[in-house]
Amino acid sequence: MRFLALLLFLPVLALAEPATVIRATDLKQEPASDSATVAVLAENTAVEVLERKSGWTRVKAQPGEGWVRMLALRFGGAAPAKPGATGLTQLFSVARTGTSGTQVTTGVRGLDAEQIANAQPNPAELAKLEKFATDRDAAAGFAAQGKLSATPVDYPK
Amino acid sequence: MRTLLLLAGLALAATAQAQFRLPNLDINRMVDTVKNVGKAVKEIDEPEEIAIGRDVASRLLGAAPLVADARMQRYVNNVGRWLAAQTERPDLPWQFGVLDSPNVNAFAVPGGTIFITRGLLDRMRNEAELAGVLGHEIAHVLRKHHLKAIQKGAQSALAGDAMSAALRDRAGAARDKLIAFGTEMYSRGLDKSDELEADRLGVVIAARAGYDAYGLPSVLQTLQAMNAQDSALALMFKTHPAPGERLDTLGEKMQPVLDAYSRQPQLGARFVQQIKK
Repeated sequence: MRFLALLLFLPVLALAEPATVIRATDLKQEPASDSATVAVLAENTAVEVLERKSGWTRVKAQPGEGWVRMLALRFGGAAPAKPGATGLTQLFSVARTGTSGTQVTTGVRGLDAEQIANAQPNPAELAKLEKFATDRDAAAGFAAQGKLSATPVDYPK
Repeated sequence: MRTLLLLAGLALAATAQAQFRLPNLDINRMVDTVKNVGKAVKEIDEPEEIAIGRDVASRLLGAAPLVADARMQRYVNNVGRWLAAQTERPDLPWQFGVLDSPNVNAFAVPGGTIFITRGLLDRMRNEAELAGVLGHEIAHVLRKHHLKAIQKGAQSALAGDAMSAALRDRAGAARDKLIAFGTEMYSRGLDKSDELEADRLGVVIAARAGYDAYGLPSVLQTLQAMNAQDSALALMFKTHPAPGERLDTLGEKMQPVLDAYSRQPQLGARFVQQIKK
């Protein structure tokens, strides 16, 4: 039974994905720039990604585990993955078959370049789309429920 | 030797003549350009933008219908409408739709219609990631990237007065051509600079709405980690700069904003509850 419970958590642990450090970067003890530096990872160091927390990613590297700046990592560069074989894709394709069942390919419709170029109007779906739209007040209430508060941020120059 | 000299002289003369002629050529070209710009300057106004957008949206829905899940559609509309309220065009008839397609993509249609595919939504982990992607698409509408591209392209596709006819008569043949052209543009994509600008603005819009600003970069890393040969990514990768380049550009230009707003909520639980069931 305890083993079963462990199995349930396996998919989360299996998220470990290979990535490469794109420039020399500090491996930190905690996800903060003022935290202690465990080691300095050289450019092109291969790491295993364990977890993400906003701007930081927890990785397993040769010198040990720690946090690096999220944008210092490049994914999928190292070994050419098999089609759809990354942990994430696998996880999500399982999730997909679990929810909506089969994704039927009808052959006519679809979002490939050619199918878009030849698409014909669909007024019935357009009417549905308009029905689902919400107004500013409702959206503000929804934001408040999530404890989101608007804050002024300038566009970059 | 004399022949050589003569030849050299001839070449010089030819060059001189060519140089002499060039200004004339340029002036002709400039006159043409001014004429075209004169036509292009006739801005498509907001009601026209919205009307064109409706027709293009209807065609995209002809390529892939909405996911038949009212709760999911309303949820994405709430997130999107809240984001749009933080922008300089808060009162467009914004509407957001999840397209029933395993492809990974999102589309911004002039006038305030945004589509995201189920394939992309399935690969997200929280509301901040959704906000980052919707923010990117909203930025396309704010800066009228597609509208300008449609107008520019249609000007050459529809000669002379056909463009104004297409705008005037919403049931005519010229109109049909304009909308077909506008829809086809989504299979070809925008300029790279438009995409990179939408990334920067998208990060800002998500931060303004109170989300962790790292949502969009997180999604880009997810795309980077996927197999580039995956057919679900084909159109997205054809019409956008590579995720690595987009991440590098965000890192160069947006690091201070990203870090200043990285501790805002991600709302993972609400996202999972509304999307994954």
